Amino acid sequence: MGQFELPIESSFSAMDVDGGGISTASSLSSSVPPPSRRKKALYQFTQQSLPACKPVLTPAWVISTFLVLGVAFIPVGIVSLHASNSVVEIVERYDAECVPDAYKSNKVAYIKNGSISKNCTKLLKVDKLMKAPIYIYYQLDNYYQNHRRYVKSRSDKQLLDGLQNNDTSSCKPEESNGGLPVVPCGLVAWSLFNDSYIFTRGAVPLKVNRKNIAWKSDRDHKFGKRVYPFNFQNGSLIGGGKLDPHIPLSDQEDLIVWMRTAALPSFRKLYGRIEEDLHPSDLITVNLTNNYNTYSFGGAKKLVLSTSSWLGGKNDFLGVFYIFVGSSCIFISLVFLLLHLKDSRPCGDATFSYWNRKNVSL
Amino acid sequence: MKRYVYINEDESSHDLYRDNRISNRKYTTLNFLPKNLLEQFSRFMNQYFLLIACLQLWPLITPVNPASTWGPLIFIFAVSATKEAWDDYNRYLSDKKANEKRVWIVWNGIKKQIKAQDIHVGNIVWLRENDEVPCDLVLLGTSDPQGLCYVETSALDGETDLKTRVVPSACMGIDSELLHKIKGVIECPNPDKDIRRFDANLRLFPPFIDNDVCPLTIKNTILQTCYLRNTEWACGVAVYTGNETKLGMSRGIPEPKLTAMDAMIDKLTGAIFIFQIVVVMVLGVAGNVWKDTESRKIWYVEYPNEGPWYELLIIPLRFELLCSIMIPISIKVSLDLVKSLYAKFIDWDQKMIDDETGTASHAANTAISEDLGQVEYILTDKTGTLTENKMIFRRCCINGVFYGNDSGDAFKDVELLNAIEAGSTDVIRFLTIMAICNTVIPVQSKSGAISYKAQSQDEDALVHAAAKLHMVFVNRNSNILEIKFNSSSIQYELLETLEFTSDRKRMSVVVKDCRSGKIFLLSKGADEAILPYAFAGQQTRAFVEAVDQYAQMGLRTLCLAWRELMPDEYREWSLSFKEANSSLEDREWKLAEVCQRIERDLEVLGVTAIEDRLQDGVPETIETLRKAGINFWMLTGDKQNTAIQIALLCNFISPEPKGQLLLINGKTKDEVYRSLERVLLTMRITTSEPKDVAFVVDGWALEIALTHYRKAVTELAILSRTAICCRVTPSQKAQLVQLLKSCDYRTLAIGDGGNDVRMIQQADIGVGISGREGLQAARAADYSIGKFRFLKRLILVHGRYSYNRTAFLSQYSFYKSLVICFIQIFFSFISGVSGTSLFNSVSLMAYNVFYTSIPVLVSVLDKDLSEETVMQHPQILFYCQAGRLLNPSTFAGWFGRSLFHAVVVFIISIHAYAYEKSEMEEVSLVALSGCIWLQAFVMTLETNSFTILQHLAIWGNLAAFYIINWIFSAIPSSAMYTIMFRLCRDPSYWITIFLIIAAGMGPILALKYFRFTYRPSKINTLQQAERLGGPILSLGSIEPQPRSIERDVAPLSITQPKMRNPVYEPLLSDSPNSTRRSFGPGTPFDFFQPQSRLSASYSRNCKDN
Repeated sequence: MGQFELPIESSFSAMDVDGGGISTASSLSSSVPPPSRRKKALYQFTQQSLPACKPVLTPAWVISTFLVLGVAFIPVGIVSLHASNSVVEIVERYDAECVPDAYKSNKVAYIKNGSISKNCTKLLKVDKLMKAPIYIYYQLDNYYQNHRRYVKSRSDKQLLDGLQNNDTSSCKPEESNGGLPVVPCGLVAWSLFNDSYIFTRGAVPLKVNRKNIAWKSDRDHKFGKRVYPFNFQNGSLIGGGKLDPHIPLSDQEDLIVWMRTAALPSFRKLYGRIEEDLHPSDLITVNLTNNYNTYSFGGAKKLVLSTSSWLGGKNDFLGVFYIFVGSSCIFISLVFLLLHLKDSRPCGDATFSYWNRKNVSL
Repeated sequence: MKRYVYINEDESSHDLYRDNRISNRKYTTLNFLPKNLLEQFSRFMNQYFLLIACLQLWPLITPVNPASTWGPLIFIFAVSATKEAWDDYNRYLSDKKANEKRVWIVWNGIKKQIKAQDIHVGNIVWLRENDEVPCDLVLLGTSDPQGLCYVETSALDGETDLKTRVVPSACMGIDSELLHKIKGVIECPNPDKDIRRFDANLRLFPPFIDNDVCPLTIKNTILQTCYLRNTEWACGVAVYTGNETKLGMSRGIPEPKLTAMDAMIDKLTGAIFIFQIVVVMVLGVAGNVWKDTESRKIWYVEYPNEGPWYELLIIPLRFELLCSIMIPISIKVSLDLVKSLYAKFIDWDQKMIDDETGTASHAANTAISEDLGQVEYILTDKTGTLTENKMIFRRCCINGVFYGNDSGDAFKDVELLNAIEAGSTDVIRFLTIMAICNTVIPVQSKSGAISYKAQSQDEDALVHAAAKLHMVFVNRNSNILEIKFNSSSIQYELLETLEFTSDRKRMSVVVKDCRSGKIFLLSKGADEAILPYAFAGQQTRAFVEAVDQYAQMGLRTLCLAWRELMPDEYREWSLSFKEANSSLEDREWKLAEVCQRIERDLEVLGVTAIEDRLQDGVPETIETLRKAGINFWMLTGDKQNTAIQIALLCNFISPEPKGQLLLINGKTKDEVYRSLERVLLTMRITTSEPKDVAFVVDGWALEIALTHYRKAVTELAILSRTAICCRVTPSQKAQLVQLLKSCDYRTLAIGDGGNDVRMIQQADIGVGISGREGLQAARAADYSIGKFRFLKRLILVHGRYSYNRTAFLSQYSFYKSLVICFIQIFFSFISGVSGTSLFNSVSLMAYNVFYTSIPVLVSVLDKDLSEETVMQHPQILFYCQAGRLLNPSTFAGWFGRSLFHAVVVFIISIHAYAYEKSEMEEVSLVALSGCIWLQAFVMTLETNSFTILQHLAIWGNLAAFYIINWIFSAIPSSAMYTIMFRLCRDPSYWITIFLIIAAGMGPILALKYFRFTYRPSKINTLQQAERLGGPILSLGSIEPQPRSIERDVAPLSITQPKMRNPVYEPLLSDSPNSTRRSFGPGTPFDFFQPQSRLSASYSRNCKDN
């Protein structure tokens, strides 16, 4: 964004000047010129006379700035839009359809009833060629992972150090169970997403890579390698998914992904990767277990298969906004150009008058 | 209530009245902490921050670490408490020094030395020459056989001349040994602060005198802090002691000054606070509603069904804390910091160093520099402030011959020297009058050099001049005056002194030549008091012309005259003089009449011209500042004529026909009222005319007007741009300042003497000139400068820049806090209105304390216009005076900008980082980076001049932001671990940031450019002219431009005369257009009578109470 730097159009202000100049001039000339550079700089600082450039908003400069901005932004917008468009994604909402007809009127009862099988099958049709790797996300809508009560209810120390860390007060209300501490504690871990998906193309099972879905840094430094789930989901209230108590937290990648709380109430989290291309007209069957309760608060669950570009997933926002800003800039520069041509007043054409501050009245 | 002081009877008054311990301290060791804290917490901002800090201690609601508020808070409080403590300690030290000074008192008839603090009412205090008076005393005896003593009262009223004080008649002639045993009672009023009044009675007990009551006046007292001069010893009885002395009563602790800008910032803070409360209430209610309707359904939040009793309060309080950054705590620290830097700039300024004395300017009060830029009224002392207070005899006219006209210096005029050499009788007589017609006391030091103690600077100048012209006044030995002329000694016997009064405007002495026995009357006085009494045959035209000529040059003139008296005539007159002198009723009037009888048929010898030189650059300074829209009032203890004279000389008032002087006078209520009404009428009519109207008022009329017609005076003060107040007392000066302040004007008082101290303390800004009358004023003042002309630079350069910079800094501080706060508020709408903070504690604290505070500090180097341009176009100060750069509407602009930027940052970051990217820490850091980048560009756009430091601060700060975040991102335990690295590798981060910058700054740049080019303010126009080398505007061709001035500002199209006649026109000649334009002929018009001869006269005599 070098365009923003204002060009140096002006003189360096002269060091001395006193409008009065009656006898003050002598004080300056009489003062010995400071010898060293540092002293000179200090002197200039104390006299507030450091050399300065004083940019001024000239029409030429402003108009060309907007023009350059516009010219630069529109291509960037087009490129971004193109990147976004090159991403192929399949979004399938399944939370409503996976409820058996009998429970359509009372979905909450369905999800809370442990005896009913939660299995559900979905068919996904591939429209365009999807190049590997294809990312599998689950998307939750209207889910407030950023709620204050929720965000704060975790203990990063415990995740790293496990039971050595006794202070789980920050994990309220899921800090302990039956007098014993819970690992991992807190609402975030407790509400772990636990739907699962199995993909088959035609009759052949699609291999889904569930490794390395979490950030490496989290696995290495945020979640303990020797910390095992303990006393987790043992209480009267079961939140979300359970964890295998024999796998250390650093390998519980679903948990790690889940614990990276989202800032928006609508978010996608990585489930896995398909590492082969999907071709148009491929029919993919998803066998999913619909365990997670989004019914009680009116949320939505979606399964997302998406390729990726250099800009990330499918998101037109940047491209569209770039084009909008770019064209606005060109528009503004044209308006200013017209204004300038119509009414090109010479700069500094000023006439002065005397001002009086207060209106004279009582 | 009265107090009875029993002389020499310690016990009776010991417990009744306090001892002489002086205390100027504000605190004691014990009450320091509570009192100081109480004082600090009386400011709204501090209360607010304390409340926030306390709330943050509650972990349930705090979004961030409490230390982020407590740290700065404690720091701020510690700094200001330390400063207070240091000041108070210094006061204690100076008090201690005064209290422990040794003084002699008489106790039980024995002289002994005690500490000054142990003096009690009723003690007899013994003073020697040059001693400082420790408390208020009533004189009992002096070394002088006539019971006189001389005191210097400069510390009390700023007048440097010596005053005579006299022993009460009852004590006259008591032997010094007997004085030790004197007993009596003084009945005096309770302590008050009137230094001109002391109405008391003295009754001595037998055996001294029978029980006659002897009246006492101020002439019988010597007051605290005066010095005894030219008197071997004096003794008196203590009547008021300690802080109850006249000085102590009038001292008063000066109130801390608050600038208009601080007041405005406080006001805006209040507005923001109200806004905050509204936001908090709305969000709090919304949060609670959301919680009850939605959150209970959200199983993963596990809201308990039954909360504690305070549950309803939790969410509002959370929002309160979340929004508490709306009022930036850093603003106080930043402001204090830049303010002390402004003060330092004043101290450092090489162009405000007085070359003669080498004194640099000094800002004692570091907090009020912005006010300098908002000054509307300057109240100035005359003598010593505008003038150098150095009277020098320059010219004279003896018998129609002008001396000193060629060289401007009579001492160098060969003709005069020749005439003295030749012994011309007229010249000799002239010199004799100069030498002895006065009340000067020659003091011969051991080395033989003679110095003079004069009550009036004019007399001093004349005596010195005479001495220089070989007529040396050597000695005043009781009644024998001895002068030396060319090594021959001449002695005169002083028969009578006809004292100066302001009515008579002359003084005379009657002397007898000791050799010839002839008796002479020697007179000197104002021309109008001397010339009419010339003897019938004398042609006075030459003298009239001389006086005219001198007056036009701004010289103070005196006419000298003499007459030989026949012994019979003298004897006869002498009797009536003595009679008048001892009369009890109407003594002054009777004396004047008697004097009149002998002061006639004078032979006028000549005219002297004395110069009280204006300081360098005074007229230019006043002209520039008046152009800048600052109104000048001159408050002087001097005479009216002299004041007007000086006012004319220094551009204070314009000469005819531009200027017009209106006189308010009168001795009674009615007279004053009538004249006040007339002046007001004229003022109201002439406001529409391009005229410089000034009113002139003297102390007496002012007193009446201020007591009885305050409203009218207030109106007058608003209407009048210029005023001359003569013969005013220190307290009246302060009252006038108060009056202007009550009309909501920003006042600056400038003076040099002790008599200006109260005015200086009272005014919004006090400026002291470290001058001839000592350092009193300079010490009491907020700023001290060496010369009056530095005022221009102080106001136009330092004041203006300070104002501009603070205006920017304070609004910017709010802007940046609001941006982050708005983002938090927006975020709360997508986080279930639960009060989640998008940013983590570290970011929030660093944002307020570091990222955004450092760059803005270098705005203290910003200069919107160069110094030369400001000096050339002082009108530009108007923007500061009218508060154009910091007011609710500019603030609304910044508020809108912050809202806009918050929207841009928020919308773009949540949309660009949606779905799979919507990780909390990442979104938070994207939004934060967006803010930081925007801040950098806002700073860039709002900076007018870039020095290397600004570039460093703005771009260096941006770099520092990334470096700091990289560091945090490298710490595994931090919440931000790896986030910044992740973002910086991600192209979409940079694309997002550029989008934020372009979308955020584009409209602002466009708006600014549009305003700058098509709706330019005067500042913009000057900037364009200055930087693009536009035509240098000459002020001579100024035309009023009505469009440019907002409605609330009435354009007063006063145009300064471009050229001024080399010789000033006499003020108020009878030009018809000036006087009768607005009034019909015959309208009673209290116009200052045409004074073709603005004679200056010696005025100092009259100051003596």
